[in-house]
Amino acid sequence: MRTYMRSLWHRKAFVAEFARSQLREQNFGSVFGQLWLILNPLLLSGVYFLLIYVIGGTSDATRFAHLTASLFLFYLIANSLTGGVKAITSGQRLILNTSFPRIMLPISAVVVAILRFLPTLAVAFVIHALVGLPYSWQMLWAIPILFVAVVMGLGLAILMSCVNVYFRDISSMLPYLTRSLLYLSPILYEASKVADGIKAFQIFNPLFYLLDSWSRVMVHAQAPTTFGMAHASTFAFAIFVVGTYFFLSRERDFAVRL
Amino acid sequence: MISLSDFSHEHDRGSIAVSVQNLGLTYTTSIDKKPTLKARLKSLGRGRKFTRTVHALDGVSLDVHYGTVLGIIGSNGAGKSSLMRVISGIVPPTKGRIEVFGSVSTLLALGVGFNPSMTGRENVYLGGLAAGMSRSEIDAKFDAIAEFSELGEAIDSPMRTYSSGMFARLAFSVAAIAEPDILIVDEALSTGDAKFKAKSLNRMKELRTADRALILVSHALATIEELCNEVIWLNKGKLMARGNPAEVIAQYREFMNVGKSASTDEDV
Repeated sequence: MRTYMRSLWHRKAFVAEFARSQLREQNFGSVFGQLWLILNPLLLSGVYFLLIYVIGGTSDATRFAHLTASLFLFYLIANSLTGGVKAITSGQRLILNTSFPRIMLPISAVVVAILRFLPTLAVAFVIHALVGLPYSWQMLWAIPILFVAVVMGLGLAILMSCVNVYFRDISSMLPYLTRSLLYLSPILYEASKVADGIKAFQIFNPLFYLLDSWSRVMVHAQAPTTFGMAHASTFAFAIFVVGTYFFLSRERDFAVRL
Repeated sequence: MISLSDFSHEHDRGSIAVSVQNLGLTYTTSIDKKPTLKARLKSLGRGRKFTRTVHALDGVSLDVHYGTVLGIIGSNGAGKSSLMRVISGIVPPTKGRIEVFGSVSTLLALGVGFNPSMTGRENVYLGGLAAGMSRSEIDAKFDAIAEFSELGEAIDSPMRTYSSGMFARLAFSVAAIAEPDILIVDEALSTGDAKFKAKSLNRMKELRTADRALILVSHALATIEELCNEVIWLNKGKLMARGNPAEVIAQYREFMNVGKSASTDEDV
């Protein structure tokens, strides 16, 4: 394991360069190129501004800020998952011809998701300032929450990249899974608005308390609840440990399965 | 002019570089090219097989010494590429023992890790890092790579705009800069036009030094005979013969019932 970690650390420059090239490829040939990284969250928040303020006819600034901030964090995890699922199968040439720690490929997918997330964070802060929401030191909780979100994204990417080697149709099912998670998580609504009858089920959603904690910190400038942080951290680290164990136990098989 | 050979390592001629003892490789792979959960669920209880077992290598033993260029020949499916992948650590062996005494670099395919959206210059770094080199190593060798590839100003154009020959030239140049103790090459010499093929062959000759071991897989028997000082012949995963290139190649030709012809001599 120590040798594996050393080899992984030695290849960190490749992970960074590979992620950069993937990001470049995603926006290659489009008119605005890498500017899309900023334009995407701006347009997304523009759409929700239209929905809430213009079509909805309300001036609920808190709801607008909650929706955009939560959606941006959700996309960090969703992009890790969708980018990671094909990381191994699309890295076939690398796997068949080079010896390296295979886990680098889903890690690169998560690095791409983080690079896409960073501009959205800036947009979220601009919206926070524009709609006049409060600030407090409690907002520093955003750092550990982001860490937990990255661990969860990593765990999901590593796990699903491995599962997809054995069942290639998993990647086609992902859009339905991510859309279900989007609607079942407190993004389009705040956690406090969930009906009492279904509150008991939110404990099974790994993202529920993570997004609720994020909204409390980023929108309301309050500290997250202890239960919320414990729930999110437990799910994130459990997914990471299970995913990594499963991946490492199967990765020697990849070259003959692809 | 910078030569690709300006970067060297030291090893004693005759010392063992790779030791392979009673190597066996058996693996299970999917019958379907793209196995799916849907297919697995649909056939529940029907007893359909989804995997097959492949015996790729069986009881192969050999030592490769520093200063040796070992050629590996055999028909398709003989186990040549499997042996290369096991030695380079890409696939773990099922049985037997492999000891490697030095750094290994593989040239099993060209352009591994390349991204067509990026420029040739950026791909030199991407391909070099994929091959396990550090950024500073690539910095030091960049001019030599660019010169060897003969791309000129096109090195700063996206690789998407390259012809297949230009792509192959840059890919070979990146792969050939590695100066490992042990270099494993699989059918990488059939690259580019006749002029570049000759240049690639010369580069392989440059790499034949006393402190390096080269393992070369090719169907081009003339190239094998010209470059190698020892040859092994594999058939259905078993080692059939080992020794002097001319003798082993003659045995192989006789076994395959093919005479000396342009199609077996040249890279195609």
